[in-house]
Amino acid sequence: MPDDPAPRIDWPERIRRALSAAPCTPEDGVIEELAQHASAVFDTTRASGGSIEEAERRVQVLLEQWIREAPALRHRTSRPPAVQPPPMQSSSWLAGAWLDGRYAIRLLRRQPRFAALVVLTLALGIGATTALFSVTYGVLIKPLPFPTADRLVVLKETRGGRPPRFGSFSNTAYLAWREQAQTIEEIAAWTPRSATLTGAGNPERIRAANVTASLFRAIGARPMRGAVFTDNDEAAPVIVISEGLWRQRFGADEHTVGKVIQVDGESRTIIGVLPDSSSYPDRQTRAWLPFRVQPPNGNLPSMFEAVATLRTGVSIDQATAEGTARGRFAAPTGMTTNAIFGGDGPVGVSARTLTESLTGDVRRPLFVLLAAVGLLLLVGVTNVAGLQLSRATARRRELAIRAAIGASTGRVIRQLLIESTALALLGGAAGFALAWWLLRAAPSILPADFPRVVDVTVSTPVVLFAIAVSLMTNMGFGVLPALRLRKLNLVQSLAEDGAAPAGGRGRTSVARMRLLIVTGQIAVACVLLVGALLLGRSFFALLTTDRGYDPTQTLTARLSLPSPAYTATRRSELLGRIVDRMSAVPGVRAAAFSTELPMTPGGSTSAFTMPSRDAAGGTVTIQASPRIVSPQYFAALDLRILEGRSLADTDTAASEPVVVVNETFRKRFLGRDALGARLPMALWGQNQEGEATIVGVSEDVRYVGASTTSLAELYFSFRQLSVGVRPTQAWLMLRSNGDPAGLGGLVRSAVRDADANLLADSIMTLEDRLLASSLARPRLYAVLVASFAILALLVTGIGLFGVLSYSVSQRTRELGVRAALGASRLSLVGLIVRQGIGVAAAGVVIGLIAAVWAARFIDTLLFGVTTGDITTYAVVPAVILLVTLLACLSPARRAARLDPIKALRS
Amino acid sequence: MGINALARELKRGSTELLILALIEERDRHGYDIARLIDERSSGAISFHAASLYPTLYRLEHKDLIEGRWVEKAGQRRRRYYRLTPAGRKALASHRSIWIGFIEALNRVAGVKHA
Repeated sequence: MPDDPAPRIDWPERIRRALSAAPCTPEDGVIEELAQHASAVFDTTRASGGSIEEAERRVQVLLEQWIREAPALRHRTSRPPAVQPPPMQSSSWLAGAWLDGRYAIRLLRRQPRFAALVVLTLALGIGATTALFSVTYGVLIKPLPFPTADRLVVLKETRGGRPPRFGSFSNTAYLAWREQAQTIEEIAAWTPRSATLTGAGNPERIRAANVTASLFRAIGARPMRGAVFTDNDEAAPVIVISEGLWRQRFGADEHTVGKVIQVDGESRTIIGVLPDSSSYPDRQTRAWLPFRVQPPNGNLPSMFEAVATLRTGVSIDQATAEGTARGRFAAPTGMTTNAIFGGDGPVGVSARTLTESLTGDVRRPLFVLLAAVGLLLLVGVTNVAGLQLSRATARRRELAIRAAIGASTGRVIRQLLIESTALALLGGAAGFALAWWLLRAAPSILPADFPRVVDVTVSTPVVLFAIAVSLMTNMGFGVLPALRLRKLNLVQSLAEDGAAPAGGRGRTSVARMRLLIVTGQIAVACVLLVGALLLGRSFFALLTTDRGYDPTQTLTARLSLPSPAYTATRRSELLGRIVDRMSAVPGVRAAAFSTELPMTPGGSTSAFTMPSRDAAGGTVTIQASPRIVSPQYFAALDLRILEGRSLADTDTAASEPVVVVNETFRKRFLGRDALGARLPMALWGQNQEGEATIVGVSEDVRYVGASTTSLAELYFSFRQLSVGVRPTQAWLMLRSNGDPAGLGGLVRSAVRDADANLLADSIMTLEDRLLASSLARPRLYAVLVASFAILALLVTGIGLFGVLSYSVSQRTRELGVRAALGASRLSLVGLIVRQGIGVAAAGVVIGLIAAVWAARFIDTLLFGVTTGDITTYAVVPAVILLVTLLACLSPARRAARLDPIKALRS
Repeated sequence: MGINALARELKRGSTELLILALIEERDRHGYDIARLIDERSSGAISFHAASLYPTLYRLEHKDLIEGRWVEKAGQRRRRYYRLTPAGRKALASHRSIWIGFIEALNRVAGVKHA
C-alpha cells in the first residue's frame, strides 16, 4: 500500500453524478455495482503502486464507457414487475398471506355457489366423520372413569364349557375363589334390579343394583357424601344413591345422608351419595343396595354378575386359571346346575376387561361405520379436488397474469393453497358444528342399550381430530391442483385465450384426472351401497321374519310387584283383577300377563326329569324356562297353537293341572307323543305339588337376531298355581282392534285401580319394543350406512355431472365438426352417454370387487341375507346406472343442441 | 452481414462464452470477471469493462445466469453471478459451436489454434 492514505471517495454518489449526463440514469442496484467496480479498480491501481492520478485516469476511462452504454445498464430480471408485488421476505410473509387470504375470501364471495357446494360437501364429510369418531373415541378408546379400570375384569363362569342361562357367576365358584384369592385383589358380585321409591314425593321407579360391599373397593369408588357400605352392612337396611338421584329427588340437600326412604315398601337409610362418574355398571343405575353372597341353600345356587380387580402385574390368564382351579373345589349343586347351565361339568372361569365386556359387540360395527363414513369423506374430498382442478385450469389466464407481473411460482401456489385452506377451514368449522349438533342428539339416536353413551362428548381429541381431518382434506383437494401449476406455461396460457384444445374424452390431463377421480368415486359409492343394501335387507328380514307371534297391534307394560310388599298370592290376585278389568274394555281383543316378555330369552329356568318314550333309560333330563301366564296369553300374542289346546279360563285350581309346551320342548324332549305327557309342577323351588298334563303345543317364540336359539318353554296358568305368582315382575299385554298406542291410559288406570301403590311403566307397543331392543342396533347401522351411501351417491352423481359437462365444453369444437359432417343428435347424445356409462362401468367393476372383499367385515351383523347376496349385487349396478343416466341428462342435451356454426366459430 | 456486423456478433458471442465459462467455476462478481478475463488472456483479449455489465444483464435477462446480492462480514454487499441450468446448457452449446468454428477455420483458412 502506498503511504498516503486513499482519499475517502463516495463512489456511488460519484457514479450517479457522472451518469446523470447520460440519456437515462440506471437504477440504484446498478449504480452500487458499478461503484464497487470503480472502487476496486481505483484501489487495485493504488495497491500495485500506481499514483492517485493513474488510478483516477483508469476510473475516468470506465466512467466514459459506462456513460456511452448507459441505456444497456439496467438489471433486466426475466419478469420485470409492472406492479410491486407484496414482499416475500420472511418478516412480511404473514402480511402477504393476509393479502392472499383476503383475496381468497373475495374470490369465494364472488363465486358463492362454488364456495357453498364445496363447504357443504366438506361439512357433511367432516361432520359425519367427526361425530362418528367421537362416538368411537368415547366408547372404545377413552379410559373408563374408574381408577382401577385397567385391572378391572368381568367374570364369566361355565360348566363343561356351557354358559349359564342367566347371570354370569355362581355363588359356589365365587365363595370358593374369594376364600383364597391370590391373583385378584377384590372380587365383587352384583345383580341389576329396579326399585320403587315411595315417601318424599311421587312414587318413582329407578334402575338400581344389589351389590356386595367389595364392589365399591373393586371399582375404586369414593362417595361424595357419607359412606358406601362395608362388609358388615351387607344385610343392613341401607342404600347408597347416585349423584343424579340426589340432585333430582333430594335437591342436593346436604342432610340427605341419614334420611330414611321407602324402597319397594321397605325402610332404608341413605348412607352415601356416589358421584355419577363412579356409577357402576352404568350411569342409569341410580341406587345401590347391599347384597351378600350366600352359600348354596341345599341344591340351589344363586347367580349374579361378578367383577374382579387383578393384582398389579397379574395377567387375565393367570387370574382365570386360579379362578377355574378354585371353582372346581366348590360343592356340586346337582340338578339345579342342569337348570342353569343346561348340563353339569367342570367349572371354567373366563374374564374380559371391563372395556371389552362393555363394548365388545359394538367394536366391529363402530369400525365398520367409521370406515364407511371415511369413504364418504373421501368421495366428498375427491369431488372438491376435481372441482378445484377444473377451476385452476379455468383460472390459468389469471394465474399466468399474476406470474407475468412478477409473482413467483411459490407465490402462486401459496395463493391457491390459502384459497383451499380457507375452504377447508370453513368446511371444517361447519362440519364441526354439524358434529356438535349430532353429538347432542346422540343419546336419543343411539339405542338405549348402547354402551358408554355418556362418554360420547366433544373432547379435546375430538376437536384435534376435526382440525386434522380438515387440514388433511385440504392436502387432498388443495395441494393436487396447486402442484399441477408448477408446470404453468406462461406464454401458452396467455396465448390460448381460454379456448380449449380440440379433442375430448380424457385428452387433456385434467380431464383424465377427473375421469379417474369419478371412477374411484363410483367404486366407493358402490361399496357403500352394497353395505347399505345388505344391512337394509338384513334389517328388513329381522323386521318381517316369522317370530311365531304377531307383534303388531299389541301394547305391553311392565308391572313390578316386589316382595315383601306383595306376597305371591297377592300378586296372583292383583294380576287376575287387572287382566279381567282390561279384557272387559271394548276395543281390546285380548288382555293377558306373563312373567316373561316374549322376545327376551332366558329369565327363569328350571330342570327336572320326566319319562320319555324316545329317551334311552326312559327318562330325560330337561332344562326349560317356565312362564306363568294368564290364559289369554296366546290370544294376546297371536301365538299359534300347533297341537291340542291353549290354556283356558276353565283351568283353575280346582281342575286337573295342565301345561302348554312350545315346539322346541316337544322336539327336544318328547318327540311326537307330547300331548298327555306329565311333568312336575315344583318349579323355582316353590312348593307347588303334583304334576301337570301337557294339553297343547304352541309355536316357538323366536329370538330373532340375538343369535339365541329357541328355548324349551312351559306355560302354566296362574289360576292353577295355589302358591301364587313367585316372580316379582310381570308384563301386561293387550291386543287391540286398532292402534294400540291409545290404550296406555287404560293400562295405567287399571293398575292404579287395583292397587294405588302399583306403577305400570315401560308402556310401549310390542313393535316399538322390538325396534328399541333387538332391532335398535341393526336399524341404526342400516340407517347410518344407507345415509352415507346415499350421500356418497349424490356427491358422485354431482361429480359425474361435472366431469361430463366439462367434457362437453372441452369437446365443443369436436362435437361441432361432427354435427357439421352430419352426425345426428342421437349419435351426439350417444357419445356423451357412452362416456358416462364407460366411467360408471369401470367404477362399478372395481367397486363390486372391493365390496365382495369388504362385505366380510359386516358378515356378523347380517341376518337372513348372506354377504354374497345376488339381489344386492344386481341392484347396486342398476342404481349406479340410473344415477349415471341422470348425470348424463343435461350434458347430453347440451351436446345435442349444439349449433355447429357457433361451435366451430368459438 | 457486413464485416463489422460479423465482428460484432463474434465479439458478442465470445464475450458471452467467456463470462459463462468464468462463472461456471464458481460464483463471481463483476470486477472479478473483468479482472480474470484480463489476467487469463494476458491482455490479449482487450475486453472493455464497459460491455461487461450490459452483457451480464443481458445474460441474466435470458435466464442464463442469476445475480444476487451477497453480504459478507466487514464488506460492502456485492452482486455475485452464478450459472443457471439453462446457462450451463448454453455454455456447452457455445463451446461446441466455437470448437466447430475454430476447426472449420483451421481446415479452410489454415488458421492455427491459439
